[in-house]
Amino acid sequence: MKTVIETKNLVRKFGEAQTQVTALSNVSTHIEEGEFTAIIGPSGSGKTTLLQLIGGLDEPDSGDVFLSGTNIANMSGRQLSDFRRDHIGFIFQSYNLIPVLSAQENIEYIMLLQGIDEKDRKTRVQEMLALVGLEGLGDRRPAQLSGGQQQRVAVARAMASKPDIILADEPTANLDSTTGIALLDMMRDLNAQMNMTFVFSTHDQKIMDRADRLIHLEDGIVHLDEIRNS
Amino acid sequence: MLFVFSMSLLEGSWSNVVDIFTLDHTGHIQVHKDDYAKRPKIHKTIENPAVVETTLKNHEDVTGWAPRVYSSALAYGGNKTSIARIFGIDPELEPTVTRILQKVSAGQYFSAQPNADGYFPAMIGRGLANSLRLDVGDEIVLISSGADGSIANDIFIITAIIGNTTSFDRLGVFLPLTVAQEFLSIGGEVHEFALLARNKHDNEQLAVELQSLMPSLNVSPWQQIEATFYRTMQSDKQGNYFTMALIVFIVFIGVLNTVLMSVLERTKEFGVLKSIGCRPSELVKLIFIETVMLASISISVGLALILPVIVWFTEVGIKLDISVDMGGVVFDTMKGDLSAYVVFMPMGFMLLTAALISLPPGLRAARILPRVALGSH
Ligand SMILES: Nc1ncnc2c1ncn2[C@@H]1O[C@H](COP(=O)(O)OP(=O)(O)O)[C@@H](O)[C@H]1O
Ligand SMILES: [Mg+2]
Repeated sequence: MKTVIETKNLVRKFGEAQTQVTALSNVSTHIEEGEFTAIIGPSGSGKTTLLQLIGGLDEPDSGDVFLSGTNIANMSGRQLSDFRRDHIGFIFQSYNLIPVLSAQENIEYIMLLQGIDEKDRKTRVQEMLALVGLEGLGDRRPAQLSGGQQQRVAVARAMASKPDIILADEPTANLDSTTGIALLDMMRDLNAQMNMTFVFSTHDQKIMDRADRLIHLEDGIVHLDEIRNS
Repeated sequence: MLFVFSMSLLEGSWSNVVDIFTLDHTGHIQVHKDDYAKRPKIHKTIENPAVVETTLKNHEDVTGWAPRVYSSALAYGGNKTSIARIFGIDPELEPTVTRILQKVSAGQYFSAQPNADGYFPAMIGRGLANSLRLDVGDEIVLISSGADGSIANDIFIITAIIGNTTSFDRLGVFLPLTVAQEFLSIGGEVHEFALLARNKHDNEQLAVELQSLMPSLNVSPWQQIEATFYRTMQSDKQGNYFTMALIVFIVFIGVLNTVLMSVLERTKEFGVLKSIGCRPSELVKLIFIETVMLASISISVGLALILPVIVWFTEVGIKLDISVDMGGVVFDTMKGDLSAYVVFMPMGFMLLTAALISLPPGLRAARILPRVALGSH
């Protein structure tokens, strides 16, 4: 097994002096290739903060993040964005699709950044739409899609660049439970098919039941790290 | 666009006004003896007009020139009298400098020939025609004093009425040059040469050049002849440029604000782009291109809308109901000036402005941490 994500003594604080909140204190963990891991914990426990630090969207006060062995603190802004482009896919709680672009343009955009030529892009977009079960809806804008469909577009976008790691922050929180479970099952299948490493956060019991591994966060501290081979 | 338009109008209206009076009478440059321009006296004549004629004829930047003599007189028509101003002009040469042919409002432009009865022709201003109740074909009697102190008086036949009651020459009596010279007993001498420059904007330089060719005479550009008017025009232009600079500044702030707001509003979108791997430099480029494209589109649309108006203004102009008297020049048609300067200067300025304006928000978007960008709405 190869370690794709490693955090060492991550500390992240917000605010100053009296009002200072320690969102993460000394989080050290590693995640292996192909794992399907859930970060769980009540609201405010530091799940979003941890995922953002792992993806390099935020900077820790101290401690380090290693992705495939490289310390991201040593990367320049451009190297980091190139790394994100080629190796990480993000899925957000509130979908965050670009409203003026159609579903397929949203998926295509990242491949445009990667410099993939048009023909390959178009085939890959169709592939991705099929993979998330949205064949024929590619021309629609985000506003013309349901929440579940938008999140599927977001999953397709995250996976379009063939990343090694998918980071998903409460991907099902805005969806009703049936849609949420369907989305998660889809992610699970993709994980099995493609050997991509999935790390997602949730505080929903039914969702976390589908993970191989549960990292319990509470007040910024890892309480328990459960491997559950069902 | 307003900017292009007002530049066009400003340049246009002044260049029109200048055209109106230089082509009405002044010409671009005048040549006199001594201080005739300031203190005209009948005896201050250019004694050797042939030399001046040769100089002007041989200069390639002089496109037209005309000799003139002036005097005042008493005019009789029937049982009425009026004071009048005599303009002795060369019937052939005067139209090469002024628009006198177009100013003939009744009758025919004259020649230097006497009629069958031996009377010489005269053309009179509309004001004089009205007050003396004279019309084409009538006789007019002029009484004046000659340069030698003699009393000059003669009868002339009116062949044309010139201009209208607001023209500067409304009380004028135009006589053929040779006739006027004889009437005033000044031989072959003249009071003034008026001339046109090939390029009206270079007239001051041409005046300096001609002065050096004719050191014994006084060569003055119209800016000197009409000094009061020229000062009025300069200060009006300056005032207008100031106003325009102010407008441009306000527009600049407005555009900056719009661009900044749209970038701020889309902070989250840029955060998303960054988190999926858009490079900071690509973001700057994106914002730059979007802003410049937006500016180009709005400029094109604006230009498409305003260009016909400018062209129409340049070609036709608005006939003002009330003629405006500007520094002594009657200004009854408002026209624009269409030139590359007027159109492209403001356009280029707007594009450059847009390009510059896009940079600060672009750089800001490039630097911001995705977490911060994602958190904003
Ligand atoms: N931008 C911020 N400013 C101040 N405090 C913050 C900020 N972001 C998160 N926090 C605080 O950090 C802690 C962890 O937040 P977060 O990682 O969002 O938790 P979770 O995602 O588990 O709900 C919370 O106490 C939260 O209030
Ligand atoms: Mg959260």
